[in-house]
Amino acid sequence: MTSPLLADLLIPAGKIVAVILYPMVMVIVMIWLERRVVALIQGRLGPNRVGFQGILQPFADAAKLFFKEDIIPRDADRFLFRVAPVLVMFSSLLAFAFVPLGEPLRLGSYTLTLWIADSPVGILIVLGLSSISVFGVIFGGWAANSKYPLMGALRSVVQVLSYEIPTGLTVLSVCYIARSLDLVEIVRRQEEAGVWYGFLLPVSFVVFWISAVAETNRAPFDLPEAESELVAGYHTEYSGMKFAYFYMAEYTHMVLVSSLVVLLFFGGWLPPFPSVKALAVLHKIPGFIWYLIKIMFFLYVYVWIRATFPRYRFDSLIQLVWKWLIPLALLNLLVVAVLRFLL
Amino acid sequence: MNALRNFLAKVLLVDMIRGLAVTLRRYFSRKVTIPYPEKVKAPAERFRGLLRLYRDEAGEPLCIACKACQRICPTNCFSIEGARPEGAKVMRPTKFDWKLDRCSFCGLCVEVCPTAAIRFSHEFRMTTVGKAPLLFRMPDMYIEGPPLQDYLCGGCRP
Amino acid sequence: MAFKEIELNMGPQHPSTHGVLRLKLAVDNEVVLKVEPILGYLHRGMEKLWESQTYTQIVPLTDRLDYLASLSNNLGYVLAAEKLAGIEVPKRAQVIRVVLAELQRLASHLAWVGFMANDIGAMSILLYSFEQREEILDIFEEYIGGRLTVHGIRLGGVPRDLDAPLIARIKTVLDRIPHTLGDIQALLNENRIWKQRTVGVGLISPADAVERGLTGPPLRATGVARDMRKDFPYSSYDDFEFDVPVGRHGDVYDRYLVRLEEINQSIRLVRQALEALPPGEFRAKVPRLLKVPAGEVYHAIEAPKGELGFYIRSDGSEKPERIKMRSPSFINLQSLELMCRGNLFADVVGILGSLDIVLGEIDK
Repeated sequence: MTSPLLADLLIPAGKIVAVILYPMVMVIVMIWLERRVVALIQGRLGPNRVGFQGILQPFADAAKLFFKEDIIPRDADRFLFRVAPVLVMFSSLLAFAFVPLGEPLRLGSYTLTLWIADSPVGILIVLGLSSISVFGVIFGGWAANSKYPLMGALRSVVQVLSYEIPTGLTVLSVCYIARSLDLVEIVRRQEEAGVWYGFLLPVSFVVFWISAVAETNRAPFDLPEAESELVAGYHTEYSGMKFAYFYMAEYTHMVLVSSLVVLLFFGGWLPPFPSVKALAVLHKIPGFIWYLIKIMFFLYVYVWIRATFPRYRFDSLIQLVWKWLIPLALLNLLVVAVLRFLL
Repeated sequence: MNALRNFLAKVLLVDMIRGLAVTLRRYFSRKVTIPYPEKVKAPAERFRGLLRLYRDEAGEPLCIACKACQRICPTNCFSIEGARPEGAKVMRPTKFDWKLDRCSFCGLCVEVCPTAAIRFSHEFRMTTVGKAPLLFRMPDMYIEGPPLQDYLCGGCRP
Repeated sequence: MAFKEIELNMGPQHPSTHGVLRLKLAVDNEVVLKVEPILGYLHRGMEKLWESQTYTQIVPLTDRLDYLASLSNNLGYVLAAEKLAGIEVPKRAQVIRVVLAELQRLASHLAWVGFMANDIGAMSILLYSFEQREEILDIFEEYIGGRLTVHGIRLGGVPRDLDAPLIARIKTVLDRIPHTLGDIQALLNENRIWKQRTVGVGLISPADAVERGLTGPPLRATGVARDMRKDFPYSSYDDFEFDVPVGRHGDVYDRYLVRLEEINQSIRLVRQALEALPPGEFRAKVPRLLKVPAGEVYHAIEAPKGELGFYIRSDGSEKPERIKMRSPSFINLQSLELMCRGNLFADVVGILGSLDIVLGEIDK
């Protein structure tokens, strides 16, 4: 019924635009949210001048960064210097193509799916794509031709690679329960089971969350990029829009990781208590609204953690993952497998 | 028993949750920011703002050019000359220069002044453009600035 | 395997060096081998300047030494000058000086805990502790008008009496500080990240500490109970009851605990002093142009950073012939190398923070 032009070209093009805009809008919200929430926790007001309650602050920041001089150090590797921020942003953005936002909407006779691609191995692809950002970090640290960014980049890489392992293991435990690697399927299974996997597999959830925070180089795991430490991080030599790219890429990665947490452990677009009949009224609210609410909650938790805890020293960070999180994740996987087999 | 408690506290992240509870409580508590320049925190009575020369109730200047302030100033801010006018009982200053860029706001001059002529005002808006306005001549020392609450910084919204 | 010794420079401009301090570090694969502080970026020629000022004029200049605890500098200098000049300070003035000095210690330690936590990454604590510090600075502002460079202790006594409204205000502020302290302790004391970064870091043995002249909370954290207020009491400190907190291991965590406990003890001291204010004069009569008889004196007090001493030599005129200041931060900084040796260079920031140095005092 719908013309091929609409179905094959315009709607996917619209979805692509939406999938690019959605993280960008979330980034803009995050910039404001982070400064505002950290300030409120600290007993001060935060940005409250630019626009209503400071809501236009991210635009002011973007405009400022836009007008800054774009310096490339003289002995830097020019190509890699330019490519690095793009790679980091590209990997996170591309992963959003595989992240579903809700149940398909019925518009007349056309079913609009709220994702670009629903791959049967969706979670693997998303994890793989988000790992490409490691290249961007290495290139950024190397290309600046200065020892501090290089050391910061190498540390960041070690951190991200190490924390990928518990991430993978906990995701594996979820997929084992859900019998699928498909993100949409995982949410549907949570709907069938009537309980979010976060309550079924609390250990998985906690380990995944800690690893996720470390993956995104956020406090308390942000030593590689902290200003008050000796080594200043891989984006030291960057200024202007390239620095803005790194900055935005970090927030995009945070939104991606929050989406994964919500999909895997918190029921995606399901309302709370999805199988309780008495609360069926909650189903009236569209799925993606629930999805957004949950993502916002996790972004709040990101900022809340940042304002509260001191920073891990790098060796403690690595010890934490290799001595505690990975054995715990393995043990958790074993226990889940045995229980699933028995029950 | 203690070892078990410690182990559980460690595994269940009790110390982290306590910290998070503190920050959560602070998130909802009163904020201490004063929205300057819409609201200005009133300085205390003895606040050390700009130095000013004062007059008595009759409107006569109090300064008698004794130069006690000039002698005691640790940083040499003052340059005062005085003379006794015709038929007057006390000396009056003919020149009273004060350098703002040298003043350390220690208050020794205020302490030693015998007539309480020189005192701290509550004026803390001391920015100037260029160095010339940092030298206060005698007429400048008597000028009273605009009231504090009327202050609007250039460019801030009203 | 040959090790590579890299020389790193923590330059004078750095968010965590608490001033313009330059540190040259020799690092082998993350482990610190040598630390060489390079000083002088804030040198203002204070000691030479004082030789051309009268004794009264020097008091406001001492404000600018340890600028986070200016009343302590005032007190240290004024006590030495009064000792040399033979000025007797009335009892009420002495007790008021105790109140002011302990309030200043509170303010200094609150600032310290905020900066230390911020260096390690817990940035909210800076705001919480500074909220309390602002209230104390407001008290100083109401008392004499200065907040940072207070100049609230003068030769012969104090410039103004403590009246009932001010005493009530001090008591109100003192009631609020333990709550903030409770918050800070809940956020840091048992926190595993804080403990990982501070326990066992920056160790120094008591013998080494005493040999190097370390004083103040870093010395007490190693277990040596040396406090000028108890050992050589001045300004009627011996009339009051307070404990001197002592640590056990001499690491960063112990220094943190010692300073937090000192905050509690200072609150206790201020409360006792406010109850025990004797009637009388608040300032002895001291001539403006004070001529001090020839001689020399050394007097030290327990400033928040350590033992602050002034050596004054007079030739009988109204200007001192030579003043030498024993600044605690300068002497404490010399132990930095021993503390940092063997630690990772990510810890240098934490160890430097735990020493609580102020460059104004070091460079004079």
